[in-house]
Amino acid sequence: MRSRLTLSIVVAVAVVAVALVAWSVTTTGQATRTARTPDGHPNLSGIWQVTNTANWDLLAHTMRPMVAQPGVYADVQVLAAPVVALGEAGIVPPGPGVVEGNDIPYKPEAAAKKKENAEHWLDRDPELRCYKPGVPRAMYMPQPFQVTQGTNKIQMVFQYAQASRTIHMDEVNSPPADTWMGHSVGRWDGDTLVVSSDNFNDRTWLSRAGDFHSDAMKLVERFTPITADALRYEVRVEDPNVFTRPWTMKMVLYRQLEDNAQLMDFKCVELVEETFLGHLRKNPLVKRWDGDTMTIDITRRIPPVDKLYER
Amino acid sequence: MTQRKFVRVGALVFAVALLSVVGVYLARGTPSGGKGPRTPWGAPDLQGIWSQQTDTPFERPAQYAQREFLTEDELAARNKELGERPAHSMYRDTRKQRGTEQDVAGAYNAVFQADRPNKSGRRTSQVIDPPDGRIPSLTVEAKDRQAAVKKYLDDLLQGSSGGRPGAPIADKSATHPPIYNLERMNRADGPEDRAGGERCFGAVMPAIGALQRIVQSPDSVEIFYDIGQGGGFSRVIPITGMPHLPSTVRQYYGDARGHWEGDSLVVDVTNFTNRSEYRGSRENLHLVERFTRSDVNTLAYQVTVEDPTTWTRPWTAIVELNREDDKANLVFEQTCHEGNYGLLGMLANTRAAERLFKERKGPDPNRMDLATGGGGDN
Repeated sequence: MRSRLTLSIVVAVAVVAVALVAWSVTTTGQATRTARTPDGHPNLSGIWQVTNTANWDLLAHTMRPMVAQPGVYADVQVLAAPVVALGEAGIVPPGPGVVEGNDIPYKPEAAAKKKENAEHWLDRDPELRCYKPGVPRAMYMPQPFQVTQGTNKIQMVFQYAQASRTIHMDEVNSPPADTWMGHSVGRWDGDTLVVSSDNFNDRTWLSRAGDFHSDAMKLVERFTPITADALRYEVRVEDPNVFTRPWTMKMVLYRQLEDNAQLMDFKCVELVEETFLGHLRKNPLVKRWDGDTMTIDITRRIPPVDKLYER
Repeated sequence: MTQRKFVRVGALVFAVALLSVVGVYLARGTPSGGKGPRTPWGAPDLQGIWSQQTDTPFERPAQYAQREFLTEDELAARNKELGERPAHSMYRDTRKQRGTEQDVAGAYNAVFQADRPNKSGRRTSQVIDPPDGRIPSLTVEAKDRQAAVKKYLDDLLQGSSGGRPGAPIADKSATHPPIYNLERMNRADGPEDRAGGERCFGAVMPAIGALQRIVQSPDSVEIFYDIGQGGGFSRVIPITGMPHLPSTVRQYYGDARGHWEGDSLVVDVTNFTNRSEYRGSRENLHLVERFTRSDVNTLAYQVTVEDPTTWTRPWTAIVELNREDDKANLVFEQTCHEGNYGLLGMLANTRAAERLFKERKGPDPNRMDLATGGGGDN
């Protein structure tokens, strides 16, 4: 009898011990964390990123040159000057698309503008100037963002360009003017975080493919845990100035599980100065001009190995 | 396994488990006891919008010597003095004679200035250590560094309206500043010649007394600083016990790691770059910050600043921040770069001035002062 009691105590102690070890392990690093906050909501705190190619193109697309010129075949384009030296790094990766029905319902004149934007991507995309990405684009940039889930605010900080957004879970006044990152108000619908956003300006894009919106854009985003480390992300885009009807994107956000995962500096402002102010230097690095067009010399050294086979 | 052995093994497992728990707690720190509001998970609650709502000199005026706080009479006198000062600096007309070089140069900075508080704090200075409330002397190395920069900047002003106008014009050919330039320089050959602020790099750490929003979770504290004329920034401070980044990685706002010590969030910040500067300190800057919520409406921010290549000893400043209204939500997104036509204008206008001079349609741009706002007196 006494020995059975001792045994059960020992077993209980061992169970507690193992639980404590497990708990102490789970509280270090990013690897695992409690699935819920103390007030019972899904725990979204952590570092997240998509693995898709939505920032390149929201619709289904094959690989293509980042900047293209006609090749020998009219329908097979090759890398053009700004990216020709990049080789493989100058190719847009393919993707099955993130838009429900694979159709963005542009009004006719907006569809024409989208097409023109895509053709003049290098000159027009605000991302290339390191401007704030806006929402929803910030959510699917190919860089991580960190969620800090507070008691009445959920803060998202994006590695790209030091952008951030606050999701107000409490009642606050709207901003006095339009914004790049919008004004976001959230609520819980069961385990889904539902965020409504407005107060956008018309200066951000939705992708490098020239997708755009007006300052009338309104968003409804839904974040639903699939597991503790994956979130289904849906965003409904409504903008009667640009689209004939609301439309929806769907994708998955993945938690970064590396022990050393953290946001790092991506203060791209400094590195894009040459692109956008280089022509105003007293001694420009670009040597040749044709009106407003700069011609950049491309330097690509042919490796010795390639020369060997060129004989 | 005998029962006794089993008990011993069990006890050992338990002891190891306990030690590892204690170890993890020591690494992350344990919030405990204390006053002020707490989060649902028991940590001191630092959340809210905070700003400096009282006026306190950064360094201590000599009259207070080693004394940290004002007397009631001194406080009343200072409040009276501050009350008579116009609250909005923009309402004071500080413009130079209209249409002059100085007037145009001052247009930007004379308008965009934040309100100054018209109420005095109780402290005689924000610097509390050394005990005289003064920033310690610069090291010889730092003085040499600053002197070299000053000489470089002065030389570029030679012969301009801003410095010894009669003197021969400076040779502005492409000489490099002794260290990465962050100052207003009398040259605009390219963006690197312009000041950090003009390139939207104006906000630096430590942001003492900055308007800020803090949001907190059990393993991270996020701070958004609404400062630097739209050039503010966000930091996410991990409270996970993870080590600092390798020292080869250098960042504008450093690399922050937090842990709890009693009621205070203590943040160690290292890995700064040589392309941002705080009072003469660059890549060797090391900060230890302490955030302490002393009551519902007060958040004390204390920072110990250390850089043996810049100051002869570490020093500490403290500022008591007050809570702003959450509902009013008067914190704005940072879009300095997005609207920075000033930098473009500086470069474009300098190129235009050079062209006009060449065509004999304008004055010699080398006689202009692009650094001090003209007249060398700003």
